[in-house]
Amino acid sequence: MLDNKAQIRTIEAFLAISVMFSALALTLQMPSTPDFEKQRQLKKLGTQILMQLDFNGTLGKLIEDANWTSLRANLDLFLPSGILYNLTVYDENLQRVNTQEVCNSNQQGVAAVVVQYLCVIQSADTHFYTIQLRLAWLE
Amino acid sequence: MKKKENSGQVILIAVLAMALILLFTQVYVFEVQMSTVYPNYTLLNEHILTIRLGSRNVVIGSIANASSGGSNTILAANLNKWVGLVNKQTEFGRSSLTYTMEETEPYSSGIWLSWGTEGFGVSSATAHFTYNLSDREVDADFSYAVNITTTLMIEGSFRKANGDEKQVNVTINLLNEDKPALAVQITLYYRVIDSWLTPNASNNYAVTDYGNGTYLASFIANIPSATVDVSVLVRDQRQILVQANATCSQI
Repeated sequence: MLDNKAQIRTIEAFLAISVMFSALALTLQMPSTPDFEKQRQLKKLGTQILMQLDFNGTLGKLIEDANWTSLRANLDLFLPSGILYNLTVYDENLQRVNTQEVCNSNQQGVAAVVVQYLCVIQSADTHFYTIQLRLAWLE
Repeated sequence: MKKKENSGQVILIAVLAMALILLFTQVYVFEVQMSTVYPNYTLLNEHILTIRLGSRNVVIGSIANASSGGSNTILAANLNKWVGLVNKQTEFGRSSLTYTMEETEPYSSGIWLSWGTEGFGVSSATAHFTYNLSDREVDADFSYAVNITTTLMIEGSFRKANGDEKQVNVTINLLNEDKPALAVQITLYYRVIDSWLTPNASNNYAVTDYGNGTYLASFIANIPSATVDVSVLVRDQRQILVQANATCSQI
């Protein structure tokens, strides 16, 4: 009887330890909150770059001319290294306009922020486009 | 004795309770962080600036169209499209962009085209906007005006050469919102009796670009009349056309 008691105590102790360790392991595995400050910075940067390109009409001209290579070159130039991007242009009917990918990598599985930008072409034939720029930090 | 026998189970339950408290605390901290950081209104300034920039581009495109012979209603049509697009935006709350076109003289439907004979020409468009954002945490109004004006000023002089031949110099000044601007196209005409002709290489036609919005056009032509009338049509870098006519003075 005495021997059994000791065994039960040992099992209980093991159970208690395993419960505590499981709880700690679960806590550590909880997803950490995203770094909102970094995301905010990324979104701000993306908006500012699009505005800079749009101010003198460059952005609209590149879209109108379907010059995706040059648009990619501009984004490569303005965005700091270590940032992944993927840009998609939609027309007024939300049909995709860019026939080529405007990106510097495959962003699948990467947590990204999305900048949505309305672009108006500075020309006599005023056209409206919605630009979606997905940005992510290179992990 | 009974109490002592159950002590192990009590410890087990206590441990279980502690583990649950630990987990719930972690979940609570996560939820609180998520709800306080997002949505985020620090990007509101950029959002407003993009709306202003878009409004400016709409006005530029509209005056470019109207100055090239388009309809006076083009500004209203383009602004309606723009307002419709902006008002679909919901990232920062409910968007409401409204506009009024300048109707004060000399504007009509927000557009003023004056291509005069006194060496002065204007192509201008003006609209006023009010942008309202409303949400649970924000309710803000922003008012701004967009004025796009391309101004052309020309001044000509001529010197008599042999017979009807005249050496003509025309100084051209181009302004965008009262600041010197560059032209992408300059077309000069001079009048011979009732016809308007363009000078070419045979007239020693040359345009000097001073790089600051000032251009000097010179040519030699046979003009029988005592006066020399010139007309200059300029397209600026925003594709806005403007024209001015002038009578050159003899030197």
